Amino acid sequence: MPALLMLETGDNTGSMVSRTATAMTQEAALIARARGGDTRAFEALYRQNVDRVYGLCLRMTGNVSEAEDCAQEAFIQAWNKLSRFRGDSAFGTWMHRIAVNAVLGRIRKSKREQDRIQVVAETASSPASMGDSGELRDLSDAIDRLPEGARHVFVLNAVYGYSHEESSDMLGIAVGTTKAQLHRARRLLAQQLKEQGFEA
Amino acid sequence: MNEQREDKLTTAARQLATGIRPQRDLWPGIEQAIRTPRRRMPWYAQAAAVVLLVGGSSGVTYLAVKDSFGPTVSVSPELVFERAAFGGDYHLGPGFQAARNSLRAQLDAELGRLSPEAQQDIQANLDVIHGAIIEINTALEQEPDNALLQQKLLRAYREELALLRRVSGLTRNVMIRNDI
Repeated sequence: MPALLMLETGDNTGSMVSRTATAMTQEAALIARARGGDTRAFEALYRQNVDRVYGLCLRMTGNVSEAEDCAQEAFIQAWNKLSRFRGDSAFGTWMHRIAVNAVLGRIRKSKREQDRIQVVAETASSPASMGDSGELRDLSDAIDRLPEGARHVFVLNAVYGYSHEESSDMLGIAVGTTKAQLHRARRLLAQQLKEQGFEA
Repeated sequence: MNEQREDKLTTAARQLATGIRPQRDLWPGIEQAIRTPRRRMPWYAQAAAVVLLVGGSSGVTYLAVKDSFGPTVSVSPELVFERAAFGGDYHLGPGFQAARNSLRAQLDAELGRLSPEAQQDIQANLDVIHGAIIEINTALEQEPDNALLQQKLLRAYREELALLRRVSGLTRNVMIRNDI
């Protein structure tokens, strides 16, 4: 399959598609092995996906320890639900869905959100901004100060590129609500950044 | 609202890092969890297991203590889960808390009088009951008004109280036997 794709496309694109196809094949093989109980294969899947899963958890929670717990919980749940993964979406997208559930479940359970906002308000820079550079850190910090609902929608939609339909499905809210929350998030961010003299 | 600024905002958001490396390796915790999977029984099965385990192991404890101190000494009360004298159906009153704290203190003080096997047995039973209480409380967080769950929680607390009482009875009888 990779060789065929290379023949059908130009050199550079073909090479890229080939690598992608190979990676997908390897991922499928790892998933199959992990389904059979191979923890080494699952560890490889973890290594491939942990940064994006943890990144999403960190941007949604804004708290390092909670993000670590959510990411761990997401991978443990993924292991337990691996037999239900049918490959309808990419494994990374499936992991993101589980991670969002882990974050929402944790927020519902702990009700620590208010404490988190207070802590962040006193902190010069949010943990999530550590992955960014320059003025993007200001944006990252501003996202972290958004109200919970607006932040979740903005992170999924604007940062991770999920559609309104996908975001609403992940968050368990109506599409209209995600649109309203995104609008709210953008308005609040623009206000915050304007106050800070940030011109994106 | 400045739409141009919002567009720039969206463009900037797309440039934010989507992958962030955790400050520590999370795999060891995940590996530990998936290598020792918890078999999560439904709460009603857990409640049944609690009754069976408490009853069964109390019988074993009774026999063990009976054998070690002679056949003429009765050391265990009947395995009856009597209703605790506290509160209404769904609320644990201060009377219950006082009784529980008192029995728990007695247990800690007197557990050392029993054989190691009996101690392990009792602790295992308490762990099962505490596990059930945690499970039911977790379910109650999702459905705080679920009367059935509230009843199950109360029952689990009663069983814990009954177990503590039986242990207290065991140690008292052992003390009597030692006095003889």
